[in-house]
Amino acid sequence: MPLEIEVDGLRKTFGRREVLKGLSFGLERGGFLSIFGPNGAGKTTTLRVLATLLTPSSGKVSVAGHDVREDPMPVRRTIGLISHNPMLYLDLTAQENLRFYADMYGVEDRDARIDGLLDRLELSHRRYDVVRTYSKGMRQRLAIARAILHRPRVLLLDEPHSGLDPRAVDILDGLLAEIRDEHTFVMVTHNIAKGLEWGTQLMIIENGRIAYEHAAGVDPDAFVAVYREHVQEGSVL
Amino acid sequence: MSGWRQFMAILRKDLIRELRTREMIISMILFVLLAMVIFHYAFGVKEDVDLTYFTGGMLWVTFIFAMLLGLNRSFAQEKDERCLDGLLLCPVDRVTIFLAKTAGNLVFLLIIQVVAVPVFTLFFVHRGYGADLVLFVAVLLLADLGICALGTLLATISMNTRSRDLLLPIIFLPLIVPLLIAATAATTTIFATGASFGSTASRLLFLLGFDAVFMVAAYGTYDFAIGE
Repeated sequence: MPLEIEVDGLRKTFGRREVLKGLSFGLERGGFLSIFGPNGAGKTTTLRVLATLLTPSSGKVSVAGHDVREDPMPVRRTIGLISHNPMLYLDLTAQENLRFYADMYGVEDRDARIDGLLDRLELSHRRYDVVRTYSKGMRQRLAIARAILHRPRVLLLDEPHSGLDPRAVDILDGLLAEIRDEHTFVMVTHNIAKGLEWGTQLMIIENGRIAYEHAAGVDPDAFVAVYREHVQEGSVL
Repeated sequence: MSGWRQFMAILRKDLIRELRTREMIISMILFVLLAMVIFHYAFGVKEDVDLTYFTGGMLWVTFIFAMLLGLNRSFAQEKDERCLDGLLLCPVDRVTIFLAKTAGNLVFLLIIQVVAVPVFTLFFVHRGYGADLVLFVAVLLLADLGICALGTLLATISMNTRSRDLLLPIIFLPLIVPLLIAATAATTTIFATGASFGSTASRLLFLLGFDAVFMVAAYGTYDFAIGE
């Protein structure tokens, strides 16, 4: 299997503060990497580098064979990012938001694709309402539509279950199950159950370094014990 | 072709949003109209005072301060809900974002001017300038383009800072002074005595040069400005 994501010696500094201290890992096409770790460990920074939103200070990072620093445009066409921030314009309707992003990505079957996604995410009846009037769960569902609108090969998930109501969690999980085989996933999460359920690779990042790495199939209780070793509530070890 | 489609998508999005909320336009129009009323009472209390030679300055100072209000707001919406991340995730040339944002700000400024210039003329200009209208519109368009290009570039740089409301005027106002001088001189001539193309050509050329300098500067730096 070719590697869809390759990270070699990734370092990222903000001013004098080194947030990532030489991460190296790879993920095969179709794989699902679950990243855990305490707040401030560098999980989201790693995801933002993969998404081309941050530039690596040093090291090599490539997605779908393209270097994120040298060749970011093909990377951007390849990835979709679902974050707890929906990245939606609150004063536009759902339809206007999706049309905007579809035009930005050059989605050819724009209207049919939008109709299909809004139906699948149970938002068709609110398509002409401005997003400001949506509940948190509805905004998150629309954010999922935004992220997969252009049919990305790689999906980056930054705490996607955060703040969702049970119905929205079911819809998100159902959708991820549907598209699981067609995509490569990297998910940053504090939700151990979800991370273990979906992950084919597990990783704990602590203080900018990989503290633990394992293929899927690890005993959940054993993983919880390891997780507790590295993550203490409200603090960075 | 995809660049043009993306340019239109960003511009359309900004226009729809503004026409729906009217946050920026209403506050800019109110500011401009209030500034004119204040100028009228501050400078025009004596009937024998001829304000004609101050008209260009009053007009452009008002537009520049009004635009500062608008520039801060035009990027505030991108910061809401991290929409800027969504925009930067798209496979779009950063210069296309700059051009679309500049075009959006230009449209808003022109809307303000369509309302403000007739009111200003009524208050302060005592000479018909219909014969110089084409020249006046040329000055208006060239100066507007410079204000919006420089303003968009600097608003982008300042939006990621903690004190962006303070930083933007501090870096924008000194840099806009050359444009202010040229636009004020050309406008005052048109309002006061009438102008020929020949007498205004050097001002127009200067404004064109100013626009070109900051468009090229944005072309070279916008990727960095809008990044981390």
